[in-house]
Amino acid sequence: MLKSYLKIAWRNLRKQKVFAAVNVVGMGTALCAALLLSLTAYREWTFDNFHKNGKDIYQLIGIEDAGGQLRTGSSMSKPLAVAIQKEVPGVKHVTFIAGSNVPVRYGTNHYYLSTQLVDNDFLKMFTFPIVKGDKNNALQQLNQIVLTARAAGILFKDAEPVGRTVELNLNGKWQPFIVSAVASDIPDNSGIYFELLTRFENDPEYNATKNDWNASNYPLFVQLEPGTSKTSFEKNINTVVKKYYKGKIEDLQKNAVVGNNGKDVFYLQGIALKDFHLDANSTFYSGLNKFYPWLMIILATLIIGIAAINFINLSIARSFTRSGEIGLRKSLGAQNGQLMLQFWAEAFLLCCFALVLSLGLMVFLLPYYNKVFGHHIALGIFRNIRVIAGTIGGFFLVTLLAGGYPAWRVAKLNILEVLKGKLGLGKSNGMRNGLIIIQFMVAVVLISCTSIIWQQLNFIQSAPLGYNTSQVISIPLDNATPSDVATMKNRLTEMPEVKSVSGSMLNLGLGKDGSSGNWTRGFTYKDRHVNTQYLAVDYNYAKTLDLKILSGRDFSREYGTDSSAVVVNEQMAKQLGVTDPVGLSFSMGDEPPVHVIGLVKDYHFESLHKKIDPLVMTLNAPLNYIFVKVETSNPVASLKKIGTSWKSINELAESDPSFLDENAQRLYRQEQRFSKIFMSGAVLAVIISCMGLFAIAVLVMAHRRKEIGIRKVLGASVSGIVLLLSKDFLRLVLVAVLIATPAAWYFMRRWLEGFEYHTSIHWWVFGIAGLMAVCIAFITVSLQSVKAALANPVKSLSRD
Amino acid sequence: MIQLQKISRHYPVGFGKNYILKDIDLTINEGEFVSIMGPSGSGKSTLLHIMGLLEEPSEGQYLFEGERVDRMNEKKRTQLHRGSIGFVFQAYHLIDELTVYENIETPLLYKNIPASERKSRVADVLDRFNMVAKKDLFPNQLSGGQQQLVGIARAIVAEPRVILADEPTGNLHSDQAKVIMQLFKHLNEQDKITIVQVTHSDLNATYGNRIIQIRDGHIQS
Repeated sequence: MLKSYLKIAWRNLRKQKVFAAVNVVGMGTALCAALLLSLTAYREWTFDNFHKNGKDIYQLIGIEDAGGQLRTGSSMSKPLAVAIQKEVPGVKHVTFIAGSNVPVRYGTNHYYLSTQLVDNDFLKMFTFPIVKGDKNNALQQLNQIVLTARAAGILFKDAEPVGRTVELNLNGKWQPFIVSAVASDIPDNSGIYFELLTRFENDPEYNATKNDWNASNYPLFVQLEPGTSKTSFEKNINTVVKKYYKGKIEDLQKNAVVGNNGKDVFYLQGIALKDFHLDANSTFYSGLNKFYPWLMIILATLIIGIAAINFINLSIARSFTRSGEIGLRKSLGAQNGQLMLQFWAEAFLLCCFALVLSLGLMVFLLPYYNKVFGHHIALGIFRNIRVIAGTIGGFFLVTLLAGGYPAWRVAKLNILEVLKGKLGLGKSNGMRNGLIIIQFMVAVVLISCTSIIWQQLNFIQSAPLGYNTSQVISIPLDNATPSDVATMKNRLTEMPEVKSVSGSMLNLGLGKDGSSGNWTRGFTYKDRHVNTQYLAVDYNYAKTLDLKILSGRDFSREYGTDSSAVVVNEQMAKQLGVTDPVGLSFSMGDEPPVHVIGLVKDYHFESLHKKIDPLVMTLNAPLNYIFVKVETSNPVASLKKIGTSWKSINELAESDPSFLDENAQRLYRQEQRFSKIFMSGAVLAVIISCMGLFAIAVLVMAHRRKEIGIRKVLGASVSGIVLLLSKDFLRLVLVAVLIATPAAWYFMRRWLEGFEYHTSIHWWVFGIAGLMAVCIAFITVSLQSVKAALANPVKSLSRD
Repeated sequence: MIQLQKISRHYPVGFGKNYILKDIDLTINEGEFVSIMGPSGSGKSTLLHIMGLLEEPSEGQYLFEGERVDRMNEKKRTQLHRGSIGFVFQAYHLIDELTVYENIETPLLYKNIPASERKSRVADVLDRFNMVAKKDLFPNQLSGGQQQLVGIARAIVAEPRVILADEPTGNLHSDQAKVIMQLFKHLNEQDKITIVQVTHSDLNATYGNRIIQIRDGHIQS
């Protein structure tokens, strides 16, 4: 029986090539897109899932509430780690993880290795298998290091790595270390990445800060005893916090005694390991929005849905042309179930072809997909049994929906009407039209979303940031020594195109080193708790960046007193409660008081997602970036010249200099990726919808051949007939546009609210999106209607 | 074999009813060859559909082989279609995608007959109708008369007790019609299959042993 079904299905497909092609190609493309998108989502959701103790591992974050102003920080102090280990019940292991790029020298060659400074417990907590050496003693001594297999290969080629001595450049000094063990390479779904591990005590500032409760520099991780709940752990840890941070809590309570929702003004919280990847507060946060994987799944569902709608519409429309067969089979004694099975078998066969096509497409497109969207999916993911089961399950669900519904509709038909040939395409119009409307709704929503996302990207990329982006080059200093930095500054001032040189602790935008950060400080001013960002800069900072000085002056070498001076922005002035703070002095915590020498206009030192925070600039801290303002007709050459010059002074320099406008763009990589994905989704949705519309048009035109013939004989013009035939479809698309517009408007408004600074939504965006949809639909239908209208009526009439 | 008692069929028009068939009493015995005749719209096709359980009567009782079938459920009705009733249509209704052989085999598939028996029964029928050479052709490769032969072959392969034919020769010219009618006569006399046909042609009606005239939903004679 089944053989007979498949046989007839196969012959049917060969006979109706347009139908088969539309279904197989449409479904195949949609399956491929959905597969790629869901695999991406799956990967993001299963990040870091290979650690055996994963469910007991947490990162600690601290939450401060300064009178409704919440601040989340992930840095913990060293004595706190000791106290947690000793005083909080249920804690098994504790480790800091501090990452940086460290130059490593072996023989005459040096390399930069991605290094994590960790405590001895690290290897017991996290599952990074040791392939050579002893796991338990690998980080026993301060001068031991663990390399990954890849890093060992780079340093020693084929030689045995364990026991060898290499030199690490920490704090500008080369120091010897012994390789104690080799770990296997880090799996690509691990958020924690290292090529080299060494003890946390090797941090240059360790000894200075090891007893300081207020020096919180690095993130802290704990592993609880199995069975300890997160809630009880958080309760116990906050008892300890209250004991040791009395002063800080009292200080914060000056603004409000109790924090938001009756919580404490300062408390610690745990982030579970499985959430590291998508939680913005985690140190190993990927930068991905939590909803990003969901967005992928939604997009996948929409695309599959559009293809399934094509499938349903075409199958139903076509089964009416086969009504004779259906009626006959019924009169021969076929039960509804058997007919359903037959039609479902046909759908299944088609879907199987589509699946094969989609797998082929996926293998072909995967490298391209990874490159364009910045994902990392390997075909190896198909070794995972859950992925295979999910794919097969999803596939069956799709065939059941796409094939099952038409089959059910067909089987339900009244036998007599079918036999008499009374059933035409007309009878299923309601359902068919509804489905076409849904398809075009999705297409229009995606088109308008794409264009608004694109506008917003344009907006933030061209918005004035309040500083000179086009002429200023930022040079990441990595771990250059102060003398190298001084030499570089001298060399720069000698260059003719250089107008001004300054520096800062933090970059503006995101540089080629990819690092970012901020330093927030809280202190009491006039009995109020004030939080501000704190930024160490060099002389001539405002001049180099063209910041607008509203009052007072920039830091300058001409004044000897600038070491205790600060420059503030307008937001900070507001915090201090004055419009012109120049001359004011205040004390930040226990330090000697500082006095304000200048007020600069607010500028966007962080991304446009955020409001401009209060900012205090000072001279007292090490610099990590040099800013150079150049005036040149050939910026590329200047950039190259400065880069080469810096390499020659500091041969360990790793990251290239870059212009600030480039850095600013780099802040919005996620949005760019977002827009690319939406754009591709929109294009795919439109194409698949049009393929369906085209095939439906083919069937409708075939059905109306005779009518068209009669109308022509009676004197209808070609354009009149084209209009007549296209009108029905265009009406559907118009309805879709009308429904889609408010939906798209709502989604986009929500999305734009995520930006403090955003463009407004213009009505013409929807007008253009709608017009595009209508035009594309009209062209698609016209391909068929013009052909039908031009056909010789004698031919179509003589058939019957 | 077929007993119709006070069978009516109507559909609503405005506030009233429009009768297609009214109070039909008819008995057809086993082994009869009955021709139903009447002008267009007289209700003869509806009568045939009711006999074939394709349509339900609005009123009255229908007994098939002594069993009431007018309010039968879907499953039992399907059983009768599979085993006892064979249909022959004016428009042949062959499945275009199946060959002659496969078309004839289809009813046996629905009867769940094992493959070997299916093969021999289809071969028998093909042999009898002299169509062995054409068994791998598709319907559109045959003439109208040949297509109708396949239609009849398909109707009898499941060995029904009664064949209901709705203007079986309506689309054929007179020579072809003659062949088909002789075949029906043969099936009736040799195989003892009860045959009910609807026809317009006086000539074709003479092949049967009873003629029922129907006019405006009433049996005239």
